[in-house]
Amino acid sequence: MTEKERLFRVIAGQSVDRPPCICPGGMMNMITTDVMDLAGVFWPEAHTDAEMMAALAAAGYENGCFENVGVPFCMTVEAEMLGAEVTMGTGIYEPHVTGYAINSVEEWRNLKPANLESGRVQTVIQAIRLLKARNLPAPVIGNLTGPISTASSLMEPVDFYKQLRKKNKEAHEFMNFVTEQMIHFVRMQLEAGADIIAVSDPSGTGEILGPRMFEEFAVKYLNQIVEAVHQENKPVIIHICGQMKNVYPQLRQLKSDVLSFDSIVPMSEARKNLPNRVLMGNVSTYALEFGNPEKIIKLTEHCVKNGSNIVSPACGLGTRSPLKNIQTMVSYLKGTASAGEQVKETKEA
Amino acid sequence: MAASKEELLGKLSDCVLDMEDEEVTGVAEEYIENGYEAFDGIMNGLVDGMNKASDLYDQEEYFVTDLLLCSDAMYAGLDVLRPHLPEETQDEKPRAVIGVVEGDTHDIGKNLVKIMMETAGFEMHDLGRDVPLDQFVEKAKETDASLVLMSTLMTTTMMGMPEVIKKLEEAGIRDKVKVMVGGSPISRKFADDIGADGYSANAVEAVKVAKKLMGMEA
Repeated sequence: MTEKERLFRVIAGQSVDRPPCICPGGMMNMITTDVMDLAGVFWPEAHTDAEMMAALAAAGYENGCFENVGVPFCMTVEAEMLGAEVTMGTGIYEPHVTGYAINSVEEWRNLKPANLESGRVQTVIQAIRLLKARNLPAPVIGNLTGPISTASSLMEPVDFYKQLRKKNKEAHEFMNFVTEQMIHFVRMQLEAGADIIAVSDPSGTGEILGPRMFEEFAVKYLNQIVEAVHQENKPVIIHICGQMKNVYPQLRQLKSDVLSFDSIVPMSEARKNLPNRVLMGNVSTYALEFGNPEKIIKLTEHCVKNGSNIVSPACGLGTRSPLKNIQTMVSYLKGTASAGEQVKETKEA
Repeated sequence: MAASKEELLGKLSDCVLDMEDEEVTGVAEEYIENGYEAFDGIMNGLVDGMNKASDLYDQEEYFVTDLLLCSDAMYAGLDVLRPHLPEETQDEKPRAVIGVVEGDTHDIGKNLVKIMMETAGFEMHDLGRDVPLDQFVEKAKETDASLVLMSTLMTTTMMGMPEVIKKLEEAGIRDKVKVMVGGSPISRKFADDIGADGYSANAVEAVKVAKKLMGMEA
């Protein structure tokens, strides 16, 4: 069973020998300084060069970190393509937004449709093509920043959140425009060869929005993206940050194939509330950066036991997470050895 | 007949709780025109409403967007009442420096903490986001702050926090300031490990932690 077959079988609800372990990319960053050293490719250059981006993405897979490849390594391509100012960050800090495109939701009309033919959109598209051409046994995951996270990167987020209610009609027009632009981008990713799309919407959380607004603004526009991907017969992973306990009824309306949560959500609670869904997660990125392989094994075991179908870090990896910690998730899932022996094996490797 | 002081205080509080950022201005003006004390209007009217909103947030009836709208109403009311405060009631407030550490521009949580801390009577110095680590130290020195609050929503940037603590030590002011950290990837354990004095999971709790660290009644 190849890594790709295993993941697709899990998503389809079919039996597998063991759970897969992936880290999609995008907000769910899988690149660490160790992986950059191994690949001889570094941030920030890899954010703007398709060959470097593809090589770095492949290095994570080749070095036994995760059973997928994925690009890009940040959540700013979408905001940048719609006019936000972005810095490429450093060797350890991800790219991030430094200047907004508009001041208020009704100014969405001043936004130009995204230029999809150049810039970092094309870096990502070319990187997907290059990864596809490698014909790896692992799935190629294309990443998309969610509509709320993108919209709140185009203007001051405090104003954005307030205007969702105070300028409700214009806020919806703005969200429609943003979502439409993102669907163009995601279609290009699929055409380029992405096997799966992962959408992360860390700013569209139930904790910030509350259940009613979560449904009105997060679920609605996320589902538009899911539907566009489903038209191409490809599956979608949605990752949402923060506590879920207030929004389980709304989460059930999300049409994605997989739901992923951060480590604040107990996997057992998610499983109980979403009995029929494919769940992904949620090994603490804190443990992955500061813990040891024994701790990682316990957490991985715990996730699987409590109902995670796809093991993954709970969030983006800290860039200084040690390689052996990251490799432990996959090596534990692959092995049948007890926790103690598994650690020995990892150390020898 | 002029509205009673109690009645107007109740209205000010309700305007904040109900996010009425336009109506609150008129109520605050009426309150001042009737000769009532601005200080009481702030504490027993506007701040009372904001505290009620925090309680609803604690009970998960209100969410972050609700608190932001409530704070808009509070600030609109403050704009009217503040100029009428007598000089002597403008007591020395405890000063705090707040910012999102370098590499991260997510500041919704930081902004909310700032609002709640202001409501609780702290003088907040906001460095904004993506803040170079040295600036926390420089601002703390410049303002003679007794608190430094740092937040981040990204795993990749959280290691800036122990660096700031180290820089505060090197600058010789670590014993003068209490350090609080927060943000979604931050845990109590992380806060303890890096030697921070306080951690909170949300903005309402942050105020309680800050007051405790300052020896103020919570």
